[in-house]
Parts: sequence; C-alpha cells; structure tokens
Amino acid sequence: MNLKTIVRGIALAAASLSLAACGINSVPAAEESAKAKWADVEAQFQRRANLIPNLVEVAQGAAQNERAILTEVTEARARATGINISADDLGDSAKVEEFAAAQSQLGAGLGRLLASFEAYPQITSNQNYLALQSQLEGTENRIAVAIRDYNEAVRQYNTTIRTFPDTIGANIIHGAEPLVPYSAVTEGAEEAPQIDLTSN
Amino acid sequence: MGKPEPALELTGRVVDAADILSPDFEEQMTAILADLEEDTRVQLVVATTPDLNGYEIETYSLNLARAWGLGDKARDDGLLLVVAPNERQLRIDVGYGLEASVEDEEAGEIIREVILPHFENGNYEAGISAGVDRLIEEVTPYDLKVAA
Repeated sequence: MNLKTIVRGIALAAASLSLAACGINSVPAAEESAKAKWADVEAQFQRRANLIPNLVEVAQGAAQNERAILTEVTEARARATGINISADDLGDSAKVEEFAAAQSQLGAGLGRLLASFEAYPQITSNQNYLALQSQLEGTENRIAVAIRDYNEAVRQYNTTIRTFPDTIGANIIHGAEPLVPYSAVTEGAEEAPQIDLTSN
Repeated sequence: MGKPEPALELTGRVVDAADILSPDFEEQMTAILADLEEDTRVQLVVATTPDLNGYEIETYSLNLARAWGLGDKARDDGLLLVVAPNERQLRIDVGYGLEASVEDEEAGEIIREVILPHFENGNYEAGISAGVDRLIEEVTPYDLKVAA
C-alpha cells in the first residue's frame, strides 16, 4: 500500500463522515417522522368525525335547544372534514391554521352538546349514550396525544434544519422549510370534555 | 423522543405511592399481574398517587405510561390503571396495540360500573381487584380462557 491510497482512504472516510453529519439522512428522517405523526393527527380527527352521526339518535330524546346545537355540530363537522392538509402543506401556516380553526370549532360545539345532554337523565342513563360518550372522550384524548407527538416531531425537525451542521444539508440539498406546529385556536378546545367520573 | 421524567418510580407491578393498599393485597395483585404477563405478554401496572401535581389525570397517566415504557415497544400492549384518591380521579390507559381488546366504551364501563361502586364505599382494594379482573378478561385470548 503506497502513501497515496492511504491518503485517499482517509479523505474518503472524512468525506463520508461529514456527509453523515450534514443532514443527508437526518433531515429527511425528521421530516418523515413529522409527516407520519401528522397522519396520526388527521386519523384521530377523522375518528371523531365518524362518531358524530351516532349523536343524532341520542339527541332524539332532547329538546329543541339541543337539536339546534346538534345542527351546529353537524355543520361544523362538514366544514372540518372538508379541509384536508396534505403532507406538503405542513409548512403552510395559513392552511394549518384554517384546519385547526375548523377542528376547534367542531370540538367546542361537541363539548357544548355533551354538556347540554347532562340535563337529561333519560339520555345520560342510556347505555348507548354512555358508550358513545366514552368513545368521544377517548378520541379527544387521542387527538390531544397525537397533536402533542406531532408538535414534538415538528420541534425536532425544525431544530434539525436550523442546527449546524445539519442545516447545510437542509438548505443546500433538501431545500428544507420549517413545519408549522399545531395549535388549537380556541383555548382548551382540544381538551376532552370533562366528565366527572366520581360519585355525586 | 426524550422520555419524560416519571412522576413516580416504577418499583413493581403495583406502585402504591398513595399508600391505600395493604402489603398482602399488593403481594396478591403482583402475582396476578405477573401471571397475566406470562400468559398473554401484556404488562399491566396498577399505580396509586397521592398527588397529580396539578396535572389532568389524562396527562399524568400518559406521562407515567410513557416514562415507564409499559408494554412491548412494537406491540404497544401496555395497560396502566392509575388511582388518585385525593383528587378522586381514576383512569385506565390502554396501549394502541390493545385498543381492539379494551375499547373506549369498555374502559369507561369498567371504571363506571366495576370499579367506582367499590371506591364509593371506600374500598379501593375491591375496586382495583374487580377492575383488574375485567381488564384481564378483555385482553386474554379466547383459547386461553377455554384452557383455564
């Protein structure tokens, strides 16, 4: 082995090391992770939307006032499910905010509807309603968890593309743009409707 | 993702930080939960806490479940029953891998109809015991039940 090959060997090794450190792999990996987490956020919102038609039957036992809220909720559902965010839109803050606003409105309406049912013992003692209430509550929890995980993935991705040396690969090779964290527009809108499980 | 710092130390299958369970009960329950893991691989942990530290129980229990890494990572089959006697809160956390076995409405029913009636009488051990029995029933495959 002559000197030249050793030098070339060292140069190659150094090159592959620096490539590994400049975001060739870490940037797309962080991006994929965030996009996968977003898919979960959407899936959980969809799960909530799918439960809403079951509320129509429950509301049969309620008065006009509750049916008005139900109409509001079904309209909010239609608006919310009409907005879709593709993975490529995740850097578009206007789109993400529009989506979040629609989902928050739906969540808030749903919370009010469930609260208003509390006044009807014939509804709250109904087994189907109790099951649906548990499903909705569980889904709100999943939404909150999915959003939390998504935001953490976005934070990691955004940190990656802004931190040297990954930022070199992020800017030059991937043209990476920061992603928008998801924030619920209405304060507390993504919190599960609070149901007191303790005795009266 | 960095693991959150657990609010309680995972000292065993029963973590009675609120000190509402007798040593005998803890021992029996630990044996039951160990058998469950042997039969079904499902890790179920019972935790009691004196203080939710100002968190909603949803957040508190999720942090515990994640910090403790309950269940197999790939199967995500951990189960956690958290009791906060001072805040009068109670929660069952179900790993995504067990959602089909313990559905939301079943978890809700177990809390409402199986556990709470005992808790309302001040009997935490009976409530936890009955709740754990039902959870075990939900996660045990049919052929194992027949064999038992």
